[in-house]
Amino acid sequence: MEGGQTADFDCVVIGGGPGGYVAAIRLAQLKQKVVVVERDRLGGVCLNYGCIPSKALIHAAHVFEAAGHSEELGIRSGGVSLDAEKLQAWKGTVVAKLTGGVAQLLKGNGAEALIGDATVASPTLVEVTTKVGVKELSTRAVIVATGASAIDLPFARFDGATVISSKEALELKSIPKTMVVIGGGVIGLEIASCLAKFGTKITVIEMLEEVLPGVDVDCIRVVKKALRGHGVEFFTKAAARNVEKTGSGALVTFVTEEGETKVVEVDKVLVSVGLRPNVEGFGIEALGVKRAEKGGWVLTDDRQATNVPGIYAIGDCTGPPYLAHRASKQGIVAAEVIAGRPSAADFRAMPGAIFTDPEIATVGLTEEQAKAQGMEILVGKVPFGAVGKSIAINAPDGFVKLLFDKNTKAIVGAHLVGAGVSEIISELALALELGATADDIALTVHPHPTMPEGIMEAAEAALGRSIHFMGARR
Amino acid sequence: MAFEFKLPDIGEGVHEGEILKWLVSEGDVVKEDQPLVEIMTDKVNAAIPSPRAGKILKRFGKEGEVIRVGSVLMVIGEAGESAPAAGPSAVAAAPSHPAPERGTGMGAAAPAVAGGKAQATPAVRKMAREMAVNIDSVTGTGPGGRVTEADVKAAASGAKALPVRSAALPVPAATRAALPPASIAPGEREERIPLRGMRKRIADHMSEARHRAAHFTYVDEADMGEIVALRERAKKVGEAKGIKITFLPFIIKAVTHALKDHPMLNASLDEARQEIVMKRYYNIGVATNTDQGLVVPVIHDADRRSILELAREVEALAEKARTNKLTLPDIQGSTFTITSVGKLGGVISTPIVNYPEVAILGVNKIDKKAVVRDDKVAIRQMMNLSLSLDHRVVDGYVGAVFLADVIKYLEDPNHFLL
Repeated sequence: MEGGQTADFDCVVIGGGPGGYVAAIRLAQLKQKVVVVERDRLGGVCLNYGCIPSKALIHAAHVFEAAGHSEELGIRSGGVSLDAEKLQAWKGTVVAKLTGGVAQLLKGNGAEALIGDATVASPTLVEVTTKVGVKELSTRAVIVATGASAIDLPFARFDGATVISSKEALELKSIPKTMVVIGGGVIGLEIASCLAKFGTKITVIEMLEEVLPGVDVDCIRVVKKALRGHGVEFFTKAAARNVEKTGSGALVTFVTEEGETKVVEVDKVLVSVGLRPNVEGFGIEALGVKRAEKGGWVLTDDRQATNVPGIYAIGDCTGPPYLAHRASKQGIVAAEVIAGRPSAADFRAMPGAIFTDPEIATVGLTEEQAKAQGMEILVGKVPFGAVGKSIAINAPDGFVKLLFDKNTKAIVGAHLVGAGVSEIISELALALELGATADDIALTVHPHPTMPEGIMEAAEAALGRSIHFMGARR
Repeated sequence: MAFEFKLPDIGEGVHEGEILKWLVSEGDVVKEDQPLVEIMTDKVNAAIPSPRAGKILKRFGKEGEVIRVGSVLMVIGEAGESAPAAGPSAVAAAPSHPAPERGTGMGAAAPAVAGGKAQATPAVRKMAREMAVNIDSVTGTGPGGRVTEADVKAAASGAKALPVRSAALPVPAATRAALPPASIAPGEREERIPLRGMRKRIADHMSEARHRAAHFTYVDEADMGEIVALRERAKKVGEAKGIKITFLPFIIKAVTHALKDHPMLNASLDEARQEIVMKRYYNIGVATNTDQGLVVPVIHDADRRSILELAREVEALAEKARTNKLTLPDIQGSTFTITSVGKLGGVISTPIVNYPEVAILGVNKIDKKAVVRDDKVAIRQMMNLSLSLDHRVVDGYVGAVFLADVIKYLEDPNHFLL
């Protein structure tokens, strides 16, 4: 902008993941000249190494298990086997279809895409190192959408073969016989759920009191029981101490809660202890962009603006919760703000889905959080065993738990565990955004027979009038 | 053991307060009675003292947020204690998780629902942003206090008259960035002041009064010659006792006398019960300017006090207001309000009633004017009185007769001195 010259772009988006590419499309829709700079593949972790490929494999694991374990339904199959390479090839087509779609959408909306490494020289100048040389892009604004990366441990560095992150775990060409999962968070348990069905014997080592920290404890109990049924062994309050590679795998040493030192020999070690925001190495440190003292992620206001005028940040590089849908929504906000619209990230509900089997889906406050805020709550909890559909599809485990403000009866949180609950949490996110009360949900007709009837019943249970569930309020 | 400190009951009728300023940070070690946080309720700032010595483990609520009495304000623990969230890290031998894993933080970081935020649908919230209305300050008329589309539109049309609101119009980034390179740094051409604390209280209170009461203003003039002479004499008496005598005590005296004859002006409207509340006590609010804005300290039972007592009380309250030392009883319970801009005074004014009161008297300046007396032009000390009323309760005729009586008392103080 110096000298009054027109900038090449209205915005340069750094990172082509679910935050960055969505921001770029929205910017283009708003007639802004925009380019997305991606150093690897459009679609980011989500489409290439995360959400999408993991869901493809989890789906395959579900089909594999159903095919082999449906004698109860009178279905006998003559021995089910898995061709892991073919599965990977199919997964590859899923990813290719979706990432190709992203490129099409960008192009169709008039947003440019550039593969290369970006460096933010100033809020109005981004240098991109591509295969063919360095390009200088002058711009009015920059959106930092650089995501986050998996963290390894000093004694268990990622080697891409034996000690792996979720990325490699989703690219396995053969199913390991045994695996240790260090870190029982969402990623660790989703992969454990998937591989256990394919026959891997899994040991989960979690240093905290419980796996899936921050998630409703009743939900966790249901998932752990199901995973144990698939042979998964859990060690909580346990500390991994050492990983020693052998010819074919690794010896993992850990100390249990009781102080006992154990050593297990496994084919693979999945390290899923957390994510680190990608905030260094592309110039924003030098520009004085403010970051969280603990955690290091980029700090923004509700317009996604950083403290440096012209620089915005969205998605995983702005810290937890690390969710693709959060990144996308923030991307839209940043795009609209840059286009001069009075947009703001003011969502009240940030739903989360965990694709274990059964699934967990949550939105809003947990009971502990509501109580910590001094809120008196009303709980409506109904097991899926009281819902016809879940019996009919042979998936009776789990429940719907809804939390309401005792005074206003407005919904404040929802915690579901059961078959396919990720598909039905959106109703409760909408309820939260609209400030629906227990009556609003209970009085809404839910079609029969469907899983969401459990939501209606739970709202009725909170009001003391569930039809299909006689259990007392917990 | 960690102790949850809840926002205590600060005063009668106070259900919530706005966090004005945190005086301590998480991790600070505090002494008993050390001020922790400044809370704004109604028009009083209260510094909330620590109930015990300890370490602040956790604070709840941001500056500007409204919290309810009884909700947890902070967690105070022993000096050596660490925040509960960091608890289990001591058990771990592996390095502590530098960041929660994908998705695991969703519970912990899920946004709270309540906490002073308006209840409104996402579409209404978006509309409010587009109309530059701070939705959290809009009174909702929907079920359960929900802010509706109509509420936002009403607030937007009202907001145009309020300079406070228009100052809060967002600056689109594009506008800033698109400025010609005249070397004006972005942000220098305007300043953004968050609408909070006393300014927000005043804004909310005035909007409510304007929104609910059916205002009309009636102006008449009084010949203040007798009062001017009387005050000159009283000043000397006051000086001997160290009391500064202004015109205000005389006006309060005249008003309380007139109110006794016209009780409909010493009333309020209870909208919830659809009843007019007639008050048999006379607490006069005196609108007072301070550095932070308008406050209305109250002279309780003004009808039972002498001119000297009123003068002393007016001075004491004004001093408290200026030094920010008003307590809740000092500003609660007025039944009628008087507003004067002192020496500036103006010619006429159109005061806004101190809702839910139904009448407010604006006192304008005393000035020598040429008036006709006995068919001759005479010079008299004239003063205009601007009386605003809530027409839902007080009809024009009633107001006019009341004001005529006030003028009668002012023009011949013997009426109330005797």
